[in-house]
Amino acid sequence: MQWMIIGQMAVSGAAMGFVYALVAYGFQMTYATSKSINFGQGELVMVSAFISLSVADMGLPYGVVVPVGLLSGALLGLFVERVAVRFALVQKTEGWILMTIIVGLFAVSAAENIWGKDERPFPTPISREALDIGGGISVTPVELSVALGVILVMVLVEIFRRWTLLGKAVDAVSADRDAAELMGISATNAIAISYALSGAVAALAGILVAPITSVGPTMASALILKAFSVAVVAGLQSGSGVALVGISLGVLESLASFYLGSGWRETPGLVLLILALALKPNGIFGTATIRKV
Amino acid sequence: MKTVTVMVLAGALVGSIAFDAQAADTFKLAITGPFSGGSAPMGGSMRDGAKLAVAQINEQGGFEVGGHKMKVELIERDDEAKNERGALIAQELASLEGLSAVIGSVNTGVVLAGDKFLQEKKIVKIITPAAGSASMTQWVNPPAQDLYIFRFAAADGIQSAMVVEEAGRLKFTKVAVLHDATNYGVSGRDDLTRRILAEGKMTIVATDKFNIGDKDMSAQLLRAKAAGAEAVLIWGIGPELAAVANDMAKIGFKVPLIGGWTLSMSNFIDNAGKNGDGAMMPQTFIEEPVTKAATAFIESYHKAYGVSRIPSPVSAAQGYDSVLLLAAAVKQAGSTDSTKIRDALEDLREPVAGVIATWKKPYAKWDAAHPETHEAFRRENVIMGMINGGHVGFANPDDRARLGNR
Repeated sequence: MQWMIIGQMAVSGAAMGFVYALVAYGFQMTYATSKSINFGQGELVMVSAFISLSVADMGLPYGVVVPVGLLSGALLGLFVERVAVRFALVQKTEGWILMTIIVGLFAVSAAENIWGKDERPFPTPISREALDIGGGISVTPVELSVALGVILVMVLVEIFRRWTLLGKAVDAVSADRDAAELMGISATNAIAISYALSGAVAALAGILVAPITSVGPTMASALILKAFSVAVVAGLQSGSGVALVGISLGVLESLASFYLGSGWRETPGLVLLILALALKPNGIFGTATIRKV
Repeated sequence: MKTVTVMVLAGALVGSIAFDAQAADTFKLAITGPFSGGSAPMGGSMRDGAKLAVAQINEQGGFEVGGHKMKVELIERDDEAKNERGALIAQELASLEGLSAVIGSVNTGVVLAGDKFLQEKKIVKIITPAAGSASMTQWVNPPAQDLYIFRFAAADGIQSAMVVEEAGRLKFTKVAVLHDATNYGVSGRDDLTRRILAEGKMTIVATDKFNIGDKDMSAQLLRAKAAGAEAVLIWGIGPELAAVANDMAKIGFKVPLIGGWTLSMSNFIDNAGKNGDGAMMPQTFIEEPVTKAATAFIESYHKAYGVSRIPSPVSAAQGYDSVLLLAAAVKQAGSTDSTKIRDALEDLREPVAGVIATWKKPYAKWDAAHPETHEAFRRENVIMGMINGGHVGFANPDDRARLGNR
């Protein structure tokens, strides 16, 4: 019985962990190219989920809902880059921190006015019927779809970065912006592309998690803090690390809420964050960067 | 010079308002509640039910008071389920010229924040559909004299007793109690626990809480499952209740979910989908045409608001009936004076034929030792509802038959 419970909590927690990892992955993408982070990433998750929900409400099939959702996420990512990040990068200030937060707040107000404050269910063709995977542990196809979707998108982004010209350009800017510019690569465009990709990844996170959590203006506010912890603990440079740290955090949270009580659910993430900042400031999977002045 | 002008203007304004109040043969009634946000299905349905009653009264030219017809004039205020908004609105209404009565409030916290202002200014308030015990018990200690606050909703005390009764009827001996961390949830847990201990037939094998906004309830539910609970007794509101129902299905914990009337909220039914089927909760009104009055009410509600389902049938019916009660009280008092209306409500001589029941002396003279003197609902006015295919129906066919014969 005890092992069954631990297994069940681990499986449920891992599903959420994949979502943390995906949002954290979005943080990393923009950090790699521009050393900036969209602090309104959670609002991108939420607005994209609402747009996808509106498309689904029009009666369009899931095969249309997902691409429209991803596209809207990418466009929103571009929008954030254009209005909140670009100026700050040009001026070499940290203005993007406040600006991305402001854009996020604006998105919450807009969502409340357009779609209302209510939590709404997200329709999905994927079954919510629990499947027994042995030993009395059950998992729903919706949860499996989260795991598969996250792995798939990470593989796709990796392929894009390694085997396409555009991807290589983005990678080059991440590696060394000045050198890349000397080779004729537009850093501004590469950063814009990284924001668009990051937006699409946020949208995918929204579409995958919405059937589990429902859609509402504050759906991502808790998610985003945890994703940020994951990104910092894993290291803002490491792509593969986020998946591992994300899943571990999800599992730890579940186990904490079972053994310590539901009120202690958030503690593992915070403890991990503090430990990481104290012991490995560049993250478990990060490499120390040498800053040449 | 300027001050004088302002004073003259102010005087003219006050004069004209007072003149209006005297000249117009109207009964001024305010409706407050959350018309936006998470509690909006209840607030909106309550308001729409009340407005339906007002429209029907006004269509006939008003109701008879002392030989002439009196129309109802409505004032609406959205408290957004926020305690501080509720307090501001109550203060505003308390100082409104010519206002005779207020109905509404969904959230116990809003009631606690606002009602004292109405009581101070001696304005009649009928609380509906807020069910939390504290709304009325706040007047017990310290005991209030001359209470102007009435309730028209099945109090949590009645509801929790019914929930325990239902679990007993289904022969459960081990139950889990889940609740949200709000005032409403905690007082619901206390009511349930007290009742279960008093009856002594069941044991509580797990007690656990969750927070507003929580999505993952599997830890709490696995604990209940591991402890061998045969039913989950629950006190919370729509979105979290839906998360519980969904997670119960996920972990294969197939036991009945029985709880407060909030299990009939449309955001529970919609978000839980078919996982919500079988959930049971006390109801004062079921959206089924079992009586003539119910049929007429449901039809006119659907027609007036262009819907095929009332978002919260209980709130709508309670809003409707509470307007009828107030109208009857004004009629009996022969005046729109709030104190006279209060006295009439405490001693209604004529039965009032509402959609929920025919109300015979629903209230009595306020006695702080017996807060039920200002509670309209008794156990027999409340029935057990059950969700079936996204619709709240009767849990027990006997209730359906009993109401049909009324």
